[in-house]
Amino acid sequence: MADLHAHHRHPGHSSSDRLYWIVAAILAVITGLEVAVFSFNLDHTLTILILIVLSVIKGAAVVMFFMHMRGDAGIFKFVFVAPLTIAISMGLIFLLLFSNHSGIAG
Amino acid sequence: MLRMSELSQTSQPHAPVATHDAEASMIRATVQHGAEPPTSLGVDSRKLGMWTFIGSETLFFAALITTYLINARINAGRPDFQNPKEYLGIVFTSMLAAILLASSLTMVLSLSALRRNRMGQFRVWLLATAGLGLCFIGGQVIEFTRLYSEHVTLQSSMFGTSFFVLTGFHGTHVGLGVVWLLSVFARSLRGRYSSKNDMDVEMVGLYWHFVDLVWVGIFTLIYLI
Repeated sequence: MADLHAHHRHPGHSSSDRLYWIVAAILAVITGLEVAVFSFNLDHTLTILILIVLSVIKGAAVVMFFMHMRGDAGIFKFVFVAPLTIAISMGLIFLLLFSNHSGIAG
Repeated sequence: MLRMSELSQTSQPHAPVATHDAEASMIRATVQHGAEPPTSLGVDSRKLGMWTFIGSETLFFAALITTYLINARINAGRPDFQNPKEYLGIVFTSMLAAILLASSLTMVLSLSALRRNRMGQFRVWLLATAGLGLCFIGGQVIEFTRLYSEHVTLQSSMFGTSFFVLTGFHGTHVGLGVVWLLSVFARSLRGRYSSKNDMDVEMVGLYWHFVDLVWVGIFTLIYLI
């Protein structure tokens, strides 16, 4: 019977380690860029846009390379991406509906 | 009482005998050889369970972040308004973000070392991950103490409430992750893990990377924006 762990063992782990170091360096650079963008006092909307794009890149790198989602079974992608999509949609909808609403907070 | 194989014989006398028995034998043989029994989706159930848990935690933290963002605007119009920009230190928090990202690197290096049966490296990177996690928690304690000394508390304003609930829950997740990492380390000292038995380590790795992912979102949406 097929070993369910078989697909985890793959050759060339030293090259994987190099990739992890490269990804970590890129993440560090992007974090530095985020702080720099924050410090530059650009237009508020542009700042938000750049920061969100940079954080999405960081998040995608962590998920794809560190969490090994790249090349993993599709069912893992589904059970993560589906709730993430719902979460982002929920957040945007709530912000749209309640951003000018005082609500129970007075 | 009839067994399954006998039932199939009595209901369908010309059907192939012991289909159920053959499947049971196959499963027993698989388990005896140390491999996991087959699953209907063809993936390890433990890993699927962890990803599903991560999906639910994504919704949980999204709710807390959304609450913070909505409260931020409401906060601005209230008499007890506390401006987050005046209280949140970006330089220090950037260091915490770098610490957590570094811990993600050490975690993935730990798993990689285990898969090559480099047990010494595996344990070193695992301990480094737990150590960096503890540094992060220490940094959060320092930040929380400073905020409290500046009268930003759970009750001081809507900013205080939503900020401490969000970052407090995240810090709790980091703390539980550190406990999990140290328990995996302790089990590794008893020879529990190898390249053929790495699922426990992969699962704690997935949890740890998710905790880092949440901080990526919190750092951007709460501290920078």
